[in-house]
Amino acid sequence: MSGLLALELLSDYTLRTVALGSAAIGVTSGALGTFAVLRRQSLLGDAISHAALPGVALAFLLTGSKAPLTLVIGAALAGFIGTLVVIGVVRTTRIKYDSALGIVLSVFFGVGLVLLTYIQQRPDASQAGLDRFLFGQAAALLQRDLVTMAVLGGIALLLMLLAWKELKLLAFDPDFGTSLGFPMRALDVLLTSLLVVAIVIGLQTVGVVLMAAMVIAPAAAARQWTDRLGLVTALAGCFGALAGVTGAVLSAEAVRLPTGPTIVLCVTGIVILSLVVAPRRGLAWRELRGRRDRRRLRLATVLQDLHALEVQHPGANRGHSEAVVSVMSGGALPSLRELERRGLVRRLGDDAWALTESGRARVEP
Amino acid sequence: MNAVEVTDLTVAYGDKPVLWDVDLEVPQGTLTAIVGPNGAGKTTLIRTVLGMVKPAAGQARVLGRPYAEQRQLVAYVPQRGTVDWDFPTSVLDVVLMGRYGRLGWGRRPGQADRAAARRALEQVGMSELAGRQISQLSGGQQQRVFLARALVQEAEVYFMDEPFQGVDATTEKAIVELLRTLRERGKTVLAVHHDLQTVPEYFDRVVLLNVRRIAAGPVAEVFNEENLRHTYGGRTPFFSQNGT
Repeated sequence: MSGLLALELLSDYTLRTVALGSAAIGVTSGALGTFAVLRRQSLLGDAISHAALPGVALAFLLTGSKAPLTLVIGAALAGFIGTLVVIGVVRTTRIKYDSALGIVLSVFFGVGLVLLTYIQQRPDASQAGLDRFLFGQAAALLQRDLVTMAVLGGIALLLMLLAWKELKLLAFDPDFGTSLGFPMRALDVLLTSLLVVAIVIGLQTVGVVLMAAMVIAPAAAARQWTDRLGLVTALAGCFGALAGVTGAVLSAEAVRLPTGPTIVLCVTGIVILSLVVAPRRGLAWRELRGRRDRRRLRLATVLQDLHALEVQHPGANRGHSEAVVSVMSGGALPSLRELERRGLVRRLGDDAWALTESGRARVEP
Repeated sequence: MNAVEVTDLTVAYGDKPVLWDVDLEVPQGTLTAIVGPNGAGKTTLIRTVLGMVKPAAGQARVLGRPYAEQRQLVAYVPQRGTVDWDFPTSVLDVVLMGRYGRLGWGRRPGQADRAAARRALEQVGMSELAGRQISQLSGGQQQRVFLARALVQEAEVYFMDEPFQGVDATTEKAIVELLRTLRERGKTVLAVHHDLQTVPEYFDRVVLLNVRRIAAGPVAEVFNEENLRHTYGGRTPFFSQNGT
């Protein structure tokens, strides 16, 4: 089945376009989203993508063209204006950053919906398909879309790599960066612009409503697995591509669903898996380590208790019953058996436990 | 020539003055503490000299020239609470950031930079933690990493914002040693400091600041009860200065 799908991926023109396009989107938004997430600006992606909708509609209304580059430029301009409005609102009013994001997101999105409805009510048929910008439709991707997406995404990633060290400074310690003489505000604008590019190239495939997930989720998942910025970024790109390709191919082939939701389901799967099983940070890992620590502590306690009992009877080579030990640290039998298995405790009678030489050496300082 | 020279510096956020007509001279090769209550403008003073805050009036010079021309001669240690210590990076990587200024755009740190970073970590007693993820550091270790980052800048003048904030006794001792080593090598340190008791022991000079400069000079001359009362006393220090 999977082999068949792989074969189909290579031979089927539509499917190949869909897969390559979604991969390009996933890599770009995943990698650049890492910086947004690390700077605690996750919601910025949501605002940009929603703000882009009126740009798409206006670009079509003004030019009458549905060429990908035209619509992407419209989306990018609107998304960028949206972020400028957010910054303006924060600077000039008492409204806080998160509220400003919410306002811009809903106002721009509302305007976008109005324009979209207006376009769809027009008599000519050329408007068909603009509504896919809402929830995304990978199956409609064409070769020319793919080229546009790949070139723009490639440029964004290249710029990110060229300014890597400066962007790292921006994300970690912008004040220090300023003291070194780097123009941190310009770098902030650069990073936001790259994020805008990463988002707008994905809008047609993933849709404005859920595109933010492609910015936030891969980075959140990748952060679970590694502590190095380069690896987090690379891994986020891979996760983004994986979710993008899987979701897009599923939506184009198997189920009759818009692409955005299927991609988001895939990336959510990756996030949940990462939250649970990732080494060190994962929930499962922490639970296991907690159990191991508790068990170790328990064995050490029982060993200490046996020693304390033994010290009370100097010279006498006698054991103590499990009940006595349990009085000191309740339910000691499993621990006593485990200690016996490890050769730190021996059984003198049916219910008489004593330290072995190595057990005593372990306790005594 | 003075290491730092501030004249008539005035900074306001909105209509609220944060620094008012502050003059300051820091001689080279000295350890100077900036002391004052919360909201006295201590951090703002440093940030303004370093060009991060635009003053309403006045100017600041570092070794005789505006800061923008002297960046290579200046190192900066921000308060360690200003960054996210869960950021995915290692101790060595943070220290290497001190080299970014001299590297300039686009160039990555090389072997020489790494060697310098390791030497700096050795100076602050952190060589063994070079590869450690920064989220696993204690408060004192975080502070040492920031100091090491300033050391690799190989500067003449060091601006430090509360380097002793929340560190353990061992780290405090290590930092004091480091400050003295810097002074022996003729460097200048200007540090925001909170613990009044240790001022005479750790520093040569002190600046008493509360929006206005209350007093500045050698510790023995100006670090007295009267000046401290002026600095910490009144509720409206600026007006009480004028009124009484």
